[in-house]
Amino acid sequence: MQHDEVIWQVIRHKHCSFMAKIETGIFCRNPYNVTGICNRSSCPLANSRYATIRDHDGVLYLYMKTIERAHMPNKLWERVKMPRNYAKALEIIDKHMMYWPKLLVHKTKQRLTKMTQMRIRMRKLALKTREKIMTVPTKQKKREARREEKAEKAALLEKSIEKELLERLKKGVYSDIYNYPVDKYNEILDKEEVGKATVSEDEEEEEPVIEYVEGYEELEEEDDMEDFGGLAIREDYDNDNLNDDDADNDDDDDNEEKSASVAYKRERKSSARKLAKEEQAAKSKKKIKVQVEVEHEDAVERQRAVY
Amino acid sequence: MSAAAARPLVTVQSLESDMATDANSVPLPDVMKAAIRPDIVTFVHGQISKNARQPYAVSKRAGHQTSAESWGTGRAVSRIPRVAGGGTHRAGQGAFGNMCRGGRMFAPTKIWRRWHRQVNVTQKRHAVVSAIAASAVPSLVLARGHKIEEVPELPLVVSDAAEAVEKTSAALKVLKQIGAHPDAEKAKDSQAIRAGKGKARNRRYVSRKGPLVVYGNEGAKLVKAFRNIPGVEIAHVSRLNLLKLAPGGHIGRFIIWTKSAFQQLDAIYGTFDKLSEKKNGYVLPRAKMVNADLARIINSDEVQSVVAPIKKEVKRAPLKKNPLKNLGVMLKLNPYAKAAKRMALLAEAQRVKAKQDKLDKKRKPITKEEASAINSASKSWYKTMISDSDYTEFENFTKWLGASQ
Repeated sequence: MQHDEVIWQVIRHKHCSFMAKIETGIFCRNPYNVTGICNRSSCPLANSRYATIRDHDGVLYLYMKTIERAHMPNKLWERVKMPRNYAKALEIIDKHMMYWPKLLVHKTKQRLTKMTQMRIRMRKLALKTREKIMTVPTKQKKREARREEKAEKAALLEKSIEKELLERLKKGVYSDIYNYPVDKYNEILDKEEVGKATVSEDEEEEEPVIEYVEGYEELEEEDDMEDFGGLAIREDYDNDNLNDDDADNDDDDDNEEKSASVAYKRERKSSARKLAKEEQAAKSKKKIKVQVEVEHEDAVERQRAVY
Repeated sequence: MSAAAARPLVTVQSLESDMATDANSVPLPDVMKAAIRPDIVTFVHGQISKNARQPYAVSKRAGHQTSAESWGTGRAVSRIPRVAGGGTHRAGQGAFGNMCRGGRMFAPTKIWRRWHRQVNVTQKRHAVVSAIAASAVPSLVLARGHKIEEVPELPLVVSDAAEAVEKTSAALKVLKQIGAHPDAEKAKDSQAIRAGKGKARNRRYVSRKGPLVVYGNEGAKLVKAFRNIPGVEIAHVSRLNLLKLAPGGHIGRFIIWTKSAFQQLDAIYGTFDKLSEKKNGYVLPRAKMVNADLARIINSDEVQSVVAPIKKEVKRAPLKKNPLKNLGVMLKLNPYAKAAKRMALLAEAQRVKAKQDKLDKKRKPITKEEASAINSASKSWYKTMISDSDYTEFENFTKWLGASQ
């Protein structure tokens, strides 16, 4: 019948579903085990008189079982609520387990101590903010990275930026810019107009990009920069629908700023040239051909810098 | 811990459909108090589970359907038999050996392997009895893994109203009422696809075992109601199967008895004194120890009162010492040895002294008086020698001879 020795022999040497053997020792997964080790004296199944401490929502309870109730699993465990005060809890254990084997009392008290310490620690930790580790689904991340790359390629950022800048320039947001290459600007505007008239694929290529033809190099070397610059600027100011900043139209200002702007223009030209070279290299000869072929329809309105 | 009570009573759990009579109780049958022998159960279970096997074997002609012959020596190839003929890849390949591709395996399996095992009837009965007894111990049922925390009593006996249950939904309700639902639920949740090749060999699903419902009356409707619940198995009390009572060879299945089944147990298995009615000449096996709690026996008053006190000091054998070398030990054996030794020592000392004196005397240069004494003595001796040997003066001779001439 209910003989502890028999039960222990069967459990230990045959099969116990709570036994967990690891390389460091044998442990018991039974929630009622006082020490957590699979032991003749710690096995809640093989000891008909047993006690343990378990916690439920932060409240500790003393659970006890006796042999009188061994055949009623429903009512096997009797539980006593432990007071918050640690010393009082120890007394309660003593009171309830007065005539019980000393070992069991000792282990129960040890367990109570450990659980109280854990409770204190948990409460302290709960006050501190701890960073929560969120798992990142790698699939999503990878998918988004891929899509980002594709979107970047599709967006043609440089082109749209250039377009936007041109638009702004046209609108007159940049009121005081003297040193942009007017001829190029006009060229592009013409291209745009042509493009609007004849909706062709070339439009995409011509419109936004300020392209520099090779002939420009000779120009820079041969011509006098000041004259060139001055001519261009003056004419532009006559014609453009730029800002109403009249200060810019003063000759004096022009003269003063000419020199400065020329220098700046030079730099811009060189940088622009680099751009041009890159773009030339990247794009086909078709572009250059197209540029030459374009005819200026509204030559009257715009005065072009002759070069 | 507790000695087996006279005949403890097991209360019968009543179901809702019962009449409102007080829960009656049934005495515990002796089977539940029989000896629990896990070793017998493991052995018998192992043997019995071999009896449902179907033979398997490879084809007896497998690997031999060639007319291969060894090429012998001298051809710079191994001597394994090779397939005769030509014109195909197969020609010249090794055949027949277990090491050859397409050859017969080592020791081809045969159908006349001994598949089934015979077990003694008494042993089989002993195993069943042990398994039933183990099912009455809550610890063992828990150790086997059943969820019986909500069960009101073990062994769990249910009124016969359960046998009349027809619908599975009603059966589930019954299980819930008696606290057996967690176990059935555990079995249902554990259904998974088997790991390994078995899943392709018609053993696709595995799950845990739930409760075993044992009924007493033939043709009870309960069979059809309970059989579709996952994990739940049914058995008639007169046909209890060890493979169901101790699945996997592990004792302690959770059994739900109906009242009629429980009452038949005594008749089927008998008691310790009474023969079984159904099993011819069978009596329940006796345990080697009626009270197996050795610790309690030793610490009991009856034993402690006659037991001798514990020997705290352990007497150890002393180290043997040689009397010939150790005087103290020698004296213990022979007290006269002391005197003898003393005398011997003294005598020895005396001898040494005498010898030394003698030598000293001899080595010391002699005084004039001594030297002259020695000289004169030697002269006189010489004279007597001469005179004695002088035959002419025979008077001296006659002195000695004492003879008259």
